[in-house]
Amino acid sequence: MSGGDEELSGFEKRTRAVLKESVTRIDARIRSRLNQARHAALAELEQPARRPFWRSFALAPAAGVVAAVVLAVVLWAPRPGQILPGSEGTASAVEDLDLVADGETFDLIEQEDGGFYEWAVAQADAGQAATS
Amino acid sequence: MGAFATLASVYNTPVATHGDVDLTDSKTTTGSRALNQFLASVELRAFKIAQAALRHEHDALDAVQDAMLQLARAYANRPAEEWRPLFYRILENRIRDMQRRRTVRARIMAWLPGQRDEDDEEPFDPMSQAQSEEVTPVRRLELDEAMAELEKALHDLPNRQRQAFLLRNLEGLDVAEVAAAMGCSEGSVKTHHFRALKALRARLGEFAT
Repeated sequence: MSGGDEELSGFEKRTRAVLKESVTRIDARIRSRLNQARHAALAELEQPARRPFWRSFALAPAAGVVAAVVLAVVLWAPRPGQILPGSEGTASAVEDLDLVADGETFDLIEQEDGGFYEWAVAQADAGQAATS
Repeated sequence: MGAFATLASVYNTPVATHGDVDLTDSKTTTGSRALNQFLASVELRAFKIAQAALRHEHDALDAVQDAMLQLARAYANRPAEEWRPLFYRILENRIRDMQRRRTVRARIMAWLPGQRDEDDEEPFDPMSQAQSEEVTPVRRLELDEAMAELEKALHDLPNRQRQAFLLRNLEGLDVAEVAAAMGCSEGSVKTHHFRALKALRARLGEFAT
């Protein structure tokens, strides 16, 4: 080892000594602040990991999701007997169209209510005869 | 003989690692206890390293606290052997951020004549007068002068040189650990360290005769 290297290591040794001494002379106020900072960091470690905002939605409890669906159905579905606005004539018109289009209905009238029509015609004839 | 040389013969004995602050909480888990011991073992030296870079007590405390928090949040589950280089890497990044912010702030303040940076003045705290050791007034004066000279010289070093020098000579990391903390090769660490020593010798050499 050259003399220069020895001189250099001696210099380094002195700087180390001064630096280490400066650490031991750090005052109580700074030590207290560092102690508080350390406790704050450790308190952070003790807390449960916080989830990102979007993950809280992805991992929402199933019961909450079900409750939301039920609530939506209750709010949107019509109550029994309730007529929704604008739907008053719609159902009867559809029923009339079915009656017109259904050929069986006329057959029933002819087969089961034929006596009624005969009686009505007879009544009409009897009325006319009485007035004349 | 200058203060720096006077202290040369006084501090040949190694200074014991401080362990004066201990967390004795029964609820503390094993993992956090290990982290507590680690942080307690490095916090004072970390503060000195931050202070040498920032030359501002409050900023240095903030930098160390931020590094502690980030280590606890992100790396507490890593093996304890990795904590030291990780911690000093985080600390150095924080120091660099603060230096950049300070530069920007100084430019802004330069445009506002009559404005004063409030951070430069700290309220008086009687605890600051309390010293951790009993020293004679003469020795304290010599120490103060030597430390002031060394700290000023360290502050004037380029960031990478100062970091390499302090991690080697104050924290006691080996070259590989310093390389991990600085995020560079071992060869770069040796170069930075050598240049730091050369610059410090050139500046403080008159005291070392």
